[in-house]
Amino acid sequence: MEQIIFIILSLAAIISALVVIFSNNPVYSVLSLVITFFSIAGHFVLLNAQFLAIVNVIVYAGAIMVLFLFVIMLLNLNKSSEPSAPLIMKVASSVAGGLLFITLLGALRQSEASAGLSGGNIGSVESLGRTLFTNFLFPFEVSSVLFLSAMIGAVMLGKKNLKDS
Amino acid sequence: MSESIQQYIPIAMQFLVASGFVITTIVASWLLGPKVKTLHKLDTFESGLQPVGNARMQFSIKYFLVATIFVLFDVEVIFFYPWAVNFREFIQEGFEGFGKMLLFMAPVLIGFFYVIKKGALEWD
Amino acid sequence: MSKLKENFNDKKMTAVIILSCLGIVSMLADIFSYKKALWYIVLAGVAGAIVANLNEKSNAIIYDMLLTDNYAIWFSTLILALVLLWFMVSKDQYESGVYNSSDNYALILFATVGALILTSFSDLTMMFLGIEILSIPLFILAGSNKKDVSSNEASLKYFLAGAFASGILLFGITFIYGSTGTFKLDKIADWANAAGSNLPALFYTGILLVMVGLAFKVSAAPFHFWTPDVYQGSPMFVTAFMATIVKGAAFAGFFRLFYTSFTSASGSWALILSILIAATILTGNIIAVYQSSVKRMLAYSSIAQAGYILLTVLLSNQEAKYALLLYIASYGVSTITAFTVLYHVEKIKGTDTFESFTSLSQTHPLLSVVMTIAMLSLAGIPPTIGFFAKFYLFSSVLKSNTSYLWLIMVSVAGSLVSVYYYFRVIIAMYGQHEPIISSEKKQIPAFYNVLLLLLVCVIIILGMMPDVLMSIDNL
Repeated sequence: MEQIIFIILSLAAIISALVVIFSNNPVYSVLSLVITFFSIAGHFVLLNAQFLAIVNVIVYAGAIMVLFLFVIMLLNLNKSSEPSAPLIMKVASSVAGGLLFITLLGALRQSEASAGLSGGNIGSVESLGRTLFTNFLFPFEVSSVLFLSAMIGAVMLGKKNLKDS
Repeated sequence: MSESIQQYIPIAMQFLVASGFVITTIVASWLLGPKVKTLHKLDTFESGLQPVGNARMQFSIKYFLVATIFVLFDVEVIFFYPWAVNFREFIQEGFEGFGKMLLFMAPVLIGFFYVIKKGALEWD
Repeated sequence: MSKLKENFNDKKMTAVIILSCLGIVSMLADIFSYKKALWYIVLAGVAGAIVANLNEKSNAIIYDMLLTDNYAIWFSTLILALVLLWFMVSKDQYESGVYNSSDNYALILFATVGALILTSFSDLTMMFLGIEILSIPLFILAGSNKKDVSSNEASLKYFLAGAFASGILLFGITFIYGSTGTFKLDKIADWANAAGSNLPALFYTGILLVMVGLAFKVSAAPFHFWTPDVYQGSPMFVTAFMATIVKGAAFAGFFRLFYTSFTSASGSWALILSILIAATILTGNIIAVYQSSVKRMLAYSSIAQAGYILLTVLLSNQEAKYALLLYIASYGVSTITAFTVLYHVEKIKGTDTFESFTSLSQTHPLLSVVMTIAMLSLAGIPPTIGFFAKFYLFSSVLKSNTSYLWLIMVSVAGSLVSVYYYFRVIIAMYGQHEPIISSEKKQIPAFYNVLLLLLVCVIIILGMMPDVLMSIDNL
């Protein structure tokens, strides 16, 4: 049962990810990216990481992708033909990407998960919260600095004429 | 883990019902609705003026600013869930369990104050 | 139990707290209208952070995430000193009215928090967070000159390259966690030591991905393509910040990670890193020769210098720490000086090409002397600090491992090439004599004259007695 769900989710993720790249219409790309995120959220559920699954759906599929969609719809995309890269570039990038793929595949194939990673309920909201607020409390607090700088950036770049005193 | 999958059956049902409803309505309206395909029927504005120019337009950046700030606060609020779920446990430690979140909240609130004072949310 | 309070009383990570609060103070300056006093507040705050940092309890473990060993304290001090210097020299740019100083200063201070974390992390989570806190403010700062299209382009390019690099870095961290089961640097080292020679491929791949991600951040070839455009498009002092403080912190983090965790696995990455170094030195130096803009030349020179600094990561021993500290100090001070002069020259002449330096010695003798010394230091010619830094670096590489002789030969050849483009500036200033337009005679404020003289003194005095930095115990 679990295996069947895994295969269905993986197929959905891979196919929709391919559509993201190969689709000519950027709106279709974004929509299939949403499907990718949903299927990855499904994978998270299979791995017992419910919180991540929900965050993935709320933040990525919900907020960020909708923002993307609006940006793309409001952009001036009348010119449908984008300049295609020269042949040598295509060949070089496929070779480089293929080599990376083989390396990653090889690395993953001959390795086994180290001990201590496969806990039963590590991904639930409760245990994640417990870890976040004990072991990872410091990074959590420091990350508020990151939010602040992102906020300044949004205001600084987004606001047209800041009232300088 | 097979038992935990059983727990997700309601959610799966919900997904099925939601997508099933959408698919059924679209297919049904396509099947049941009358199909008239004349040149005028396919116009953007039937029996109206011929559309001139382009439907795409430049859009105010204010929308993006508000949307970006929304995403930021959305991400921040996500962190409240794991804290709230464990709140009973944290509060056993006294004030510190609350202080952890307060320390995170303070910059967020300062940021919110900053955004409002800078007039980033004013839509003029 | 009260861990928060305990940390506060123990004076741990005070500098990080001071800088975060200073950043918040700075971002609110506009709202509570104390912007006029902001520069003084920030200067006092950074100076306070330096003092606090030097008084930091040594070898304290903070939340199992940071470790304030001597390495962390001294690199933090160096970075804070460079930040202090940066605030002094960049005053003019932020008083010109083009930029909103309160927002810009806040972003710089937050970036500095990231830099401090990068010098003292003991956990991969912290390293990643430090890199993000360091880079995200800079994506914004690169585009802070909103009306300039090249600044916007710089921001976008930096963001795309930086986000991509972060992704690869994170991928690498995941692989390392997957094979070792821990984020802690010392535990990773223990694990690698225990595993001996049969390390799993997952671990190797993780190290390589982390290396690629960090090479992006320090702009080592072949991951340097974003650097020239970003450095040229950004406002002058943002470029200076990126070239000195960001690069210094990124190298401090790079070295800390590889020195602490991956030395026993060095067989898997040393060769790749040495090829990376040779490529970086050659690309940076050779392309720099063909530039017509001094700012772009400095961008390529910073790529080349990144190659030399990477030699310390390749060495990864006790001596390399001193070489790294010395080199970052020397490169940082010289580069900030060069950018300050370039800023004033660009302000007077309107462009930043080599031609704008023509006969500068007649109108601005002081600026020319300062620029000459900065160029000599970057080229590594005595009696400047740059010479000693390079000399110490190369000799410590040869001392520890003679098989890297070829790399040193490449580095020396690169340095020789670099003399050409650094001297082009000097020759332009002193060589030709052209009729002077009266508008070009505008002098710079006395404050900057004093500051530049001070910088020159630092470059030369440190060059005379570099022992000051070498005498730190047990770095």
